[in-house]
Amino acid sequence: MKALEATRLSKTYRKAKQPALSDLDLAVESGQVFTLLGRNGAGKTTVLRIASTQLLPSSGRAEVLGLDAVKQAKELRERIAIAPQEAETVYPLTPRDHILLSLRMRGNEKRDAVERTQQALEDLELLDVADVNSDWLSGGLKQRVIVAMVVRTDADLVFLDEPTIGLDPLSRRRIWEQLTRLKGSGKTIVLTTHYMDEAEALSDSLVIMDKGRLMASGTPQTVKAMVTDRAIRVDVFDRFSQSELAKYGHVVPIAGRYRVLADAEGARGLGDEAVARRAKIAIGPVSLDDVFVDIVGVREGDEGGG
Amino acid sequence: MRNPLFIAFVFSTPFTLLFILFVASDGTALPFGLAGALTMITTELGLFVWTDLASYKLQNRFQDMVVASPVSPLTYMFGVALSELIFGTPALVIVFALMWSQGAAAGALVAASGVVVLLWTTATSLGFFFSAYAPNTQNAFVINGFITTMLSVLPPAYYSVKVLPAYIAPLAYVVPTTEAASLFQGAIGLGYSIPPVLSLAVLVAATAAMLALVSFKMKWRES
Repeated sequence: MKALEATRLSKTYRKAKQPALSDLDLAVESGQVFTLLGRNGAGKTTVLRIASTQLLPSSGRAEVLGLDAVKQAKELRERIAIAPQEAETVYPLTPRDHILLSLRMRGNEKRDAVERTQQALEDLELLDVADVNSDWLSGGLKQRVIVAMVVRTDADLVFLDEPTIGLDPLSRRRIWEQLTRLKGSGKTIVLTTHYMDEAEALSDSLVIMDKGRLMASGTPQTVKAMVTDRAIRVDVFDRFSQSELAKYGHVVPIAGRYRVLADAEGARGLGDEAVARRAKIAIGPVSLDDVFVDIVGVREGDEGGG
Repeated sequence: MRNPLFIAFVFSTPFTLLFILFVASDGTALPFGLAGALTMITTELGLFVWTDLASYKLQNRFQDMVVASPVSPLTYMFGVALSELIFGTPALVIVFALMWSQGAAAGALVAASGVVVLLWTTATSLGFFFSAYAPNTQNAFVINGFITTMLSVLPPAYYSVKVLPAYIAPLAYVVPTTEAASLFQGAIGLGYSIPPVLSLAVLVAATAAMLALVSFKMKWRES
């Protein structure tokens, strides 16, 4: 069964020159972790906001858990939960208040909500700060509170918009564990992220979006396989120009160096030439990060490898 | 009640004006001051939903979580509005106690409570209406303070409409706070500066109009 199915979904915001979404088709199977990848402005949040009944599409259809996200929003809201992008804690509530409020507004009885709140606090390791004014918490702890507000709900589908942004590696992994646990309990998770390692570690399937369009979709493995003819990554730090590197593979300029996605022959040739020129290079297998850059490309003003 | 500062905020301006009137008039203007304070407290409690809603919607995204939940828009609006009223309850209780000490009858105080509910509903609706257009929380806070002053200090709330020049008075009559203040002034024994039936009619009409405007303009889901 599909947990989310978008058909020719489009959205153009008022006063916007470009559409945020253009004829997007996508499908999410139930019980999966599904990830929307893309740079800022790719349309990831717009998809989430339409599917979670917060935003009306300009055209097209979004069916969530078998319900029309526009016409059956009321029924749908009983079965979904969202941790929005850039959500912040509310002064002067404590983490315990936040989670309890979230559960109570979803209709959980008080005793049940209190128990679940305790579980959520344990899940996200927030017990030590459970009754502290949220304003006094660090950014990472606040972000964990936001995620804790949805991890123990009865929602069949949980949307998380960049849930680990700005977190340290340990906190990120703590959230990953919760998402894995949620998936284990049969829930569907739709998340957006900029972190390729996160998408690779968590996702059963993913899509790469750019400028409101679908650029690639599949499992992390199938998406990576899209560049199987260029399965080796060679980072070239000096002594080569972009035009010189073009004959070895697909060249992407990244943060003062060049990344060449090459096949075995190209990599070997480039390696030999680099040795002859005494150039500094690094070789490794392509990652989802490389695929993303390969598909979406690098534009002026972009930083790093996407 | 984790934020006692807000309770102090509710007290600050209305009671400062009340104190100035009391001292400057040697106590004789206290009843007018009480009618004005009650008008101002009720108005600011209603309008303050604007600032909170702007914060929930634009700053901490709490409203996004509520929209994607079984909570209905009406429940959410009522909850936010009621939370403001709870913070204002101590101030309202003190004003009512002072009105009683000034000789207001129990029946008059009950009637004044009804007027408080009407004015609060009007001001709250106005707050909800403005919140739909708030571009950011900072502006919401500043403009909110300005509108509260325009509605509850400038019009005849702390004074009688009868002292206004004839060419301005008609403007004051269409402001709901003028009508509410006149009813409060009557309840405290100062006499009604506007016929109470007329004040009540204007207040009810303003409340109905504001509720209609809000139900028409407020959008739970963005388009």
